[in-house]
Amino acid sequence: MLSSSALAESGSELRFCLHSEPKTFNPLLVADDAAETIRYLTGGVLVRVNRQTQELEPELALSWKVSKDGREVTFKLRKGLSFSDGTPFSADDVAYTMRLLMDPELHSPTGDAFRSGSGAVRSEVFAPDRVSITFPATVAGLDRLFDQVAILSAHSPKKEMAVLGPFMIADYKPGSTVLLKRNPNYWKTDSHGRRLPYLDSIRLDIQPNRDIELVRFKRGELDLINSLDSEYFDRVDATSPGLVHDAGPSLDSEQMWFNQVAAAPLPPYEREWFRSTNFRRAISQAINREDLSRIVFNGHARPALGPVSPANKFWYNSRMKADAFGRDASLARLAVEGFRLQDGILRDESGHRVEFSIITNSGNKYRERMAILIQHDLEEIGIKVNIVTLDFPSLIERITHSFNYEAALLGFTNVDLDPNTQMNVWLSSAENHQWNPREKSPETSWEAEIDKLMRAQASSRDPGKRKESFDRVQEIVVEQMPFIYLVNRDSLSAISASLQGTVPVILRPQTYWNADRLTVSAEAGTRGR
Amino acid sequence: MIAAPEPLLSLRLSVDYPQKARVLRDVRLEIGQGEIVGLVGQSGSGKSTLALAILGLLEMKDGKAQGAIRFRGTDLLRLSEREMRTLRGSAIGLVLQSPLSSLNPALKIRTQLKEAWKAHRKGTRDECAGAIRNALASVSLPVEDEFQKRYPSQLSVGQAQRVLIAMAVLHRPALLVTDEATSALDVITQSEILALFARLKEESGMSILYISHDLPSVAGISHRTAILHEGEIVECAPTDQIFKRPSHPYTQRLIASLPEVPAGGTLPIVKTTAATR
Amino acid sequence: MPRKLACLVLALVTAASLAASWLAPAGYATQFREAPNAPPSRRHLLGTDQVGRDLFSRTLYGTRISLLLAPAAALVATTLAAGIGGVAGFLGGVPERVAMSLTNLFLSLPWLFLLITIRALLPLNASPLASVLATFLMLGLLGWAASARVLCAGARALRTSELLLQARALGLHGPRLFAVHVISNLKPVLYAQFWISIPTFILSEANLGILGLGVPEPMPSWGTLLKELEGVTSLTEQPWKLAPLLVLIVVVTSFQLALSRQEVPL
Ligand SMILES: Nc1ncnc2c1ncn2[C@@H]1O[C@H](COP(=O)(O)OP(=O)(O)OP(=O)(O)O)[C@@H](O)[C@H]1O
Ligand SMILES: [Mg+2]
Repeated sequence: MLSSSALAESGSELRFCLHSEPKTFNPLLVADDAAETIRYLTGGVLVRVNRQTQELEPELALSWKVSKDGREVTFKLRKGLSFSDGTPFSADDVAYTMRLLMDPELHSPTGDAFRSGSGAVRSEVFAPDRVSITFPATVAGLDRLFDQVAILSAHSPKKEMAVLGPFMIADYKPGSTVLLKRNPNYWKTDSHGRRLPYLDSIRLDIQPNRDIELVRFKRGELDLINSLDSEYFDRVDATSPGLVHDAGPSLDSEQMWFNQVAAAPLPPYEREWFRSTNFRRAISQAINREDLSRIVFNGHARPALGPVSPANKFWYNSRMKADAFGRDASLARLAVEGFRLQDGILRDESGHRVEFSIITNSGNKYRERMAILIQHDLEEIGIKVNIVTLDFPSLIERITHSFNYEAALLGFTNVDLDPNTQMNVWLSSAENHQWNPREKSPETSWEAEIDKLMRAQASSRDPGKRKESFDRVQEIVVEQMPFIYLVNRDSLSAISASLQGTVPVILRPQTYWNADRLTVSAEAGTRGR
Repeated sequence: MIAAPEPLLSLRLSVDYPQKARVLRDVRLEIGQGEIVGLVGQSGSGKSTLALAILGLLEMKDGKAQGAIRFRGTDLLRLSEREMRTLRGSAIGLVLQSPLSSLNPALKIRTQLKEAWKAHRKGTRDECAGAIRNALASVSLPVEDEFQKRYPSQLSVGQAQRVLIAMAVLHRPALLVTDEATSALDVITQSEILALFARLKEESGMSILYISHDLPSVAGISHRTAILHEGEIVECAPTDQIFKRPSHPYTQRLIASLPEVPAGGTLPIVKTTAATR
Repeated sequence: MPRKLACLVLALVTAASLAASWLAPAGYATQFREAPNAPPSRRHLLGTDQVGRDLFSRTLYGTRISLLLAPAAALVATTLAAGIGGVAGFLGGVPERVAMSLTNLFLSLPWLFLLITIRALLPLNASPLASVLATFLMLGLLGWAASARVLCAGARALRTSELLLQARALGLHGPRLFAVHVISNLKPVLYAQFWISIPTFILSEANLGILGLGVPEPMPSWGTLLKELEGVTSLTEQPWKLAPLLVLIVVVTSFQLALSRQEVPL
């Protein structure tokens, strides 16, 4: 007789690593990657962003409609579904979930995205399969936000353990593993009418050490590594070619910027440089981005131009062109501002030698190497760059409080495709407006224009109009270079040969976004333990 | 009556250690100019304590002295450390038992002699070198550079002890305190050193407080001998008398325990010409 | 014989590092961008690093910096240790207790935070030379405490020794007594502490880099070169990458052989 767990071990178990302990199993409280993984695999959502097409698709909701003013969304739900414990699913559950989500006491990070104005959020259940939710003010990109909202059962005694996603939590050994089992009540079927998911279980090992993860993957004890950095990628590629996948540039970017804060403790002439558009653009022109991609990331990154990665299919403005790269082009632009190269030293109009430091966070060898290449590139135009690596808290202190720095090199992680999630970067009053945060009123005309465009796109529901505005924002950013974008790192993963059905993409979760359709072939030989 | 001249050293002393009180109890002792006084007592009787007290070094062992130590008319116990320092090594010298642990193993003997000289004298290199040669000669050691450049480990024990003595007499002290200075030596070397002390005393007229647990060696050199027993001087008399007519029961036991009392009662190394009074 | 060999090795390494400007086929900052992470070749004797800099040249220049400065820092630290720990042990009593509690306090300080504070106070744009000097001076100033404890114990044992009793009885006292008799006898301990601190400082220097202190890019040091070893994917495939580590081991060992107990004959 075979028990179900023996069956699972015989081949239909997917195994990979969480890199930290999940902080919560409550889908509304998810704030870390590990918990996010579990939410993605267990939670049922009304609508889902297809990770491959980046389009929004119906899930628990058959259809939905957002009101003109962008404050209200109405869902028509699938009928006859039930939670993993058998409790039937209805519109009450959606209302219940929204109530919890927006409860200020709960402090749900997912809920924060919906908070557009003060006032209560109202849910109205018209029928067991029809529910509308009204917000006090327009929520930009409202429907897409529901991709993150796992619906909880209003009635199940098992609370948040009753789920609508393909898997459910079966066992948790803190510090060691989270075991997920297939949800027998999962509603989806494949084209042959077979019930999904194919897998019996998913075993998530909690393993912060990437080297151990890599070794275990090579030994066949893991089926995938969801995101690799380029060095690990090459290590796997060297020993087991064919298992690694480069899905192309991701949404994440690496960039540097100059400190433009008026009150920064910098000499006035330096602030002058940093506030000069031509200076910033000239620096950008002097940086060899091809080399950054090729040398630092071993080819697993693409030169970046603007704030949106080309991976973001809808929002990327493909009409923008980069300034010509090169020493002469850069010097020519600098000359416009009165900079002169004399005996290999670049001086400004009043004779000050151009020298500045770039701070970056220590321990990130890619950034350190990019800084070394940039240092070298800028030496070519007579600029002396001092590289200072700082521990993260000190770095943050400098770029957000003391403003005691000249240039910084960091990366931005973008989880979302929609520009609304970047409001906190682009608005001149925003905290994360890194080059000059929390401006009382826009200090430059182009920042004022960005403010206007960002607000315009946020309050519009017409995707075409929104894109028009945000395209313009991208153009201004590339013209003004408040951020000098360097590269977009590729999305890299490793997938064992026994795992079938994977389509690695750039959106998270890159490899197991279609977990309900993955299968593991049961060749015992390749699957060690 | 003719008033007796004041002795070089006269003391009346009690000493306490933090962990052990009354190590010396009202010890009285006088040493005349040019006199050799022996101090005999068994281990733990307080001999070294007395030596340290005279040199004002009890502090090193956290000891406290009470009473008076009159040296050339001044009470050493009332001198400041700074004043006492000027006397140590120049007016009062000390020679310890083990030359190997008392010499600095890491320095050449010339360096150590130089330091001892510079502690009390300012002068040219030549003066210093001369003084060192004299001192070495006076203790019958080679004066050559080759010898002076040696480290203590390159000397015999007898030579090392002579080096210690040379350092102690470098500034011709009026009083030399020797604490078991010969105890670690073999019999022949021991008698050579004893003869050296006698000669030094003869040549420079210094007084010697000769401390030992070994009664015969004391008898061989001292004019008078004091017997220290459990922190008290139980008897102090001319050496002859101690041997011939010990009065205190402890002294009697001490004499009786000797393997053989020599026939003459004296070991005639010291000529009695330089008597005390 | 091993001593002579050690001296020879040291002389060679020192000469080579001092002559780095002539011997090195490339500058330490020159980037051969067409050949990053290259294996050893006629052109790059030890291959290149991740950004294409000639590792042989960087090792030469790095040796120059570390070879000069780590011993200097060790000297500062050991001198401080002798001054603080040695004097405390020699004086005993209250001074000893005060000095030792200070030392323990110093050892228990949250150095990470203090160094972060120090970094915050220093300008970001220091000249590389100034940064290098400041780094090693700091290492020296911060590295004394552990040695001080050892030296204090050594001096304490000497304090009541016959040796010092005899020296005092000769009229020696105070600083002179300490300098002549205590230090000479602590010499083996001082040497040991000195040699122990050198490799420690070399590695600490590498770690200071994490806090934005340390030898700044693009300058090489043994510390930064060793740190790059962390990123080497497979040492069995790239054994030449161990060259800086090998140089470090050879130099430290040679130093120990060449200078141990030179003063005191056996
Ligand atoms: N630092 C000290 N603290 C407490 N007691 C001490 C100290 N030094 C010595 N004593 C004690 O004082 C007594 C006298 O010691 P001292 O060294 O003077 O004797 P001694 O006659 O020189 O003995 P020995 O022949 O063994 O050298 C001994 O009983 C000893 O235990
Ligand atoms: Mg004694």
